[in-house]
Amino acid sequence: VRAEPLSCITCGDVAVVVRVLALRGTNALVELDGAREEVALELVSGVRVGDRLLCHAGVALARVGSSEADGA
Amino acid sequence: VKHVSEYRAGGLAAGLAERIRELVEPGRSYKLMEVCGGHTHAIYRHGLEDLLPEEVELVHGPGCPVCVIPMGRQDDAIAIAEQPGVIFTTFADMLRVPATSGSLLDAKARGADVRMVYSPLDALRIARENPARETVFFAIGFETTTPSTALTLLRARDDGVRNFGVFCNHVVVAPALLAILQSPDLQLDGFIGPGHVSTVIGTEPYEFIAREHAKPIVVSGFEPLDVLQSIYMLLLQLAERRCEVENQYVRVVRREGNPLALAAIEETMELRETFEWRGLGFIDRSAMRLRPEFAAFDAEARFALPGARVADPKACQCGEVLRGSIRPWECKVFGTACTPEQPIGTCMVSSEGACAAYYNYGRLDRRRGRAAATHS
Repeated sequence: VRAEPLSCITCGDVAVVVRVLALRGTNALVELDGAREEVALELVSGVRVGDRLLCHAGVALARVGSSEADGA
Repeated sequence: VKHVSEYRAGGLAAGLAERIRELVEPGRSYKLMEVCGGHTHAIYRHGLEDLLPEEVELVHGPGCPVCVIPMGRQDDAIAIAEQPGVIFTTFADMLRVPATSGSLLDAKARGADVRMVYSPLDALRIARENPARETVFFAIGFETTTPSTALTLLRARDDGVRNFGVFCNHVVVAPALLAILQSPDLQLDGFIGPGHVSTVIGTEPYEFIAREHAKPIVVSGFEPLDVLQSIYMLLLQLAERRCEVENQYVRVVRREGNPLALAAIEETMELRETFEWRGLGFIDRSAMRLRPEFAAFDAEARFALPGARVADPKACQCGEVLRGSIRPWECKVFGTACTPEQPIGTCMVSSEGACAAYYNYGRLDRRRGRAAATHS
């Protein structure tokens, strides 16, 4: 998942929220603003198509908007 | 709230700013540290300081991983990159960090095979595509980035990849906060805690800040309204004489963090006894190295490295900026000898470095007189 200009890939600032389009083994095809790429899924369990994931450096770190996170 | 625009609504921001103003106690000033470079970036990009009352001062913390890597480690990285046959992979920002004899980009110009990647998994793919050569990934970053390196190591081991190495410089945020709390030249009233680091580690590692140091900390998201709400929550704690770890970023951060990510780190890495941080010096148990079981992937074990301690350039005051003891524009070379195009120090290299954030967004007007004098 690409950084926007002027921001730094190594920092959490560019951990971005993407939507899952398809599952491919241990990866997911995800989409952000029309751009598509694969991210690794090993660190988030039970991912399904349509989920929103927080991703950083090619790896999904969290599901966004589930459980208590929904109320935000 | 579902869309970015809603996290940036001007009316809501003004309302939050007013509520922050109402909490300011007469005759009192507030010094709050935003730990994460991502917050520094958001604060300057969106001009949040202009919304805050004069009494609330934001101090930049050490949470830009590019900025805190000392020059000696950058020299080591270049030494690996210049080994015959090595493909050296790195995040973009590390390419331009000045070391003793130029940057990684300069090494590339001299003939080293240095490539930019967005993920350590890209580096592992490059290793697979070049089986006759050694591919090394320059791993830097706080706990947001560490899991991606850990996962890459696990995949490399499971797939039996033999020509892939990691030069591990991952750092840990809590020991740096402890070092800042113990520093005599900075008295803080509270912390805006890192949001995405906390996605991984949860909120428990910050408990000592509230319990042992009696400072409030609010883990915050990165949109303007997130940061303003976190400042409001900090001032409310101070007004009510509370010191707690609170979580503003509940839509992503859980108290326990991400157990799978923590397990991947635990399996592949262990804490170093000590690690040098630019500006903060050596901090005990503040960085990770690969476990002995992963020695086959450890660039520090596989290559002879200079491993020298190298002092920062004399003119550079990144150390004081990183400790929060001077503001970026108070540095002698800010905006003159040191610019994002020709950086002397790391804080001007990374866009999340405090100096680059000031420079790129022209945030020089808040204390206009002194800033103008420095900048002219």
